[in-house]
Amino acid sequence: MTVSQERRPIENSENRPDKKWTIGDLSYRYILDLLPCCISIQSPSLHILFSNKRFEKDFGDGIGRLCHEVYKRANEKCESCPVEKTFEDKKVHTSEETVRLSTGEMAQMVVYSTPILDALGNVTAVIELSSDITVIKETEKGVKSLGQSMAMVSHEIKNILEGLHGGAYVVDTGIKEDDLALARKGWKIVKKNITEISNMTQNILYSAKKDVLKNQLVLPKEIVDRAVGLLLDKASAMDIELEIQTNPALPSVSLDPSSISRMLTNLIWNAIEACSNDGESKLHTVVVRAEFYDKTHFMFEVEDNGVGMDDATLNKIFEEFFTTKGGSGTGLGLSVVDKIVKAHEGRLEVLSAPGKGSTFRVIFEIR
Amino acid sequence: MDKAAKIIIIDDDSDYRFTMETFLNRNGFETLTAEKGQEGLDLIEKERPDLILLDVMMQSTYSGLEICKQLRSNPELKDIPIIGISGMSNELGVRLDKWGEDEYFKVDEYYEKPVDREKLLERIKVRLAKGVSRLKPKWNYS
Repeated sequence: MTVSQERRPIENSENRPDKKWTIGDLSYRYILDLLPCCISIQSPSLHILFSNKRFEKDFGDGIGRLCHEVYKRANEKCESCPVEKTFEDKKVHTSEETVRLSTGEMAQMVVYSTPILDALGNVTAVIELSSDITVIKETEKGVKSLGQSMAMVSHEIKNILEGLHGGAYVVDTGIKEDDLALARKGWKIVKKNITEISNMTQNILYSAKKDVLKNQLVLPKEIVDRAVGLLLDKASAMDIELEIQTNPALPSVSLDPSSISRMLTNLIWNAIEACSNDGESKLHTVVVRAEFYDKTHFMFEVEDNGVGMDDATLNKIFEEFFTTKGGSGTGLGLSVVDKIVKAHEGRLEVLSAPGKGSTFRVIFEIR
Repeated sequence: MDKAAKIIIIDDDSDYRFTMETFLNRNGFETLTAEKGQEGLDLIEKERPDLILLDVMMQSTYSGLEICKQLRSNPELKDIPIIGISGMSNELGVRLDKWGEDEYFKVDEYYEKPVDREKLLERIKVRLAKGVSRLKPKWNYS
């Protein structure tokens, strides 16, 4: 392979330490190729006339092809094409675009366009310069999501505080009036809110922590029993039946018991609330199962006959901070479930219909 | 003896209804509660309370703001003072103070949970004193 002379520096300054460095030593082509951003020159029909090394590395050979074809593999030009605007008004324009790299990955780029004018001041071509800002965009998303999570959490804490204040007032009143039944009722409200805040704290910790699993051999039944045990009070306070169905033939499996217990707690918690939000006056039951899925896999299942979900809701449930619980709920529960399932290389299936209820099934390999 | 002033509490949180009811009872008010919007409207229509404590961000079909709208457009019920209570807060982008500017959604004042009960009590007394109430609370206010 031969390397074109014009792409190399004329002299290597290391060989001539006494020589004063000037830009004249380098060809412009070489400088353009060194820049860590994509540069192209485009015709009025948006055909690429020139591109630098970085452009070729990110998008392949684009010479002679249409800009949007190369950047986005799209047939149509971009909605607010900065190059076209520069051709129209001779000014510098900018936009942010989502592009597809030649590796197939998507990237966010900030794009600038600037005109090349002829002697009469007409735009003959436009230079387009794009920089990859995917990392910046991801950081931005992270900061936004942090702000949102702070808001959701502080909102939820306020609701819990309301419960604690109210419950404590009732306990005090019960004591003052020698009414033990009233004091007990208040105490129940206080305890319920303590459960709420500890559940919320666990979810915040899980959503923030990196996936470090401490796997050990454990019987699925033991985890089911533990998670159900934690929520018996909540369910009975809402007149909802909690039923356990576990297959005694299931062997011990390698799991991180505390993560899986958290996952089941969140699924059962949601199931209980789905029942309590159901206006229908039927007997509400949440069934928690541990069962074989096939010869090499087993599953946990949480089934409720509560409100159920429509397709629009189903599409959003695993998004962080999405909640159907209006005034209550941080929207962290299912995103934590999703995270734990992925960390265990498991699979999550949801079946739901409005008015009928929902079933969440988590499938893991037996190992 | 004067009859106690009647307050209707509308909120979808059963614990809140119970604790607020206990608090207001102990402070000399007669209370009635409703969990949902329509139930609340029916109760207001039937009972003609002196004041309404309303959760403005309920999940049910008739949200709190919808109740406000219905009450304010009903000539017979439009003057009942409404104190809005909200679980939502400004940091979530919910601006109750802005909604208050809309003539339909005009609650007389609103507070966020956790509610400062002593302050609420004071405000209820002020509202009742200003309000169109035909009834007097058990306690005296000047």
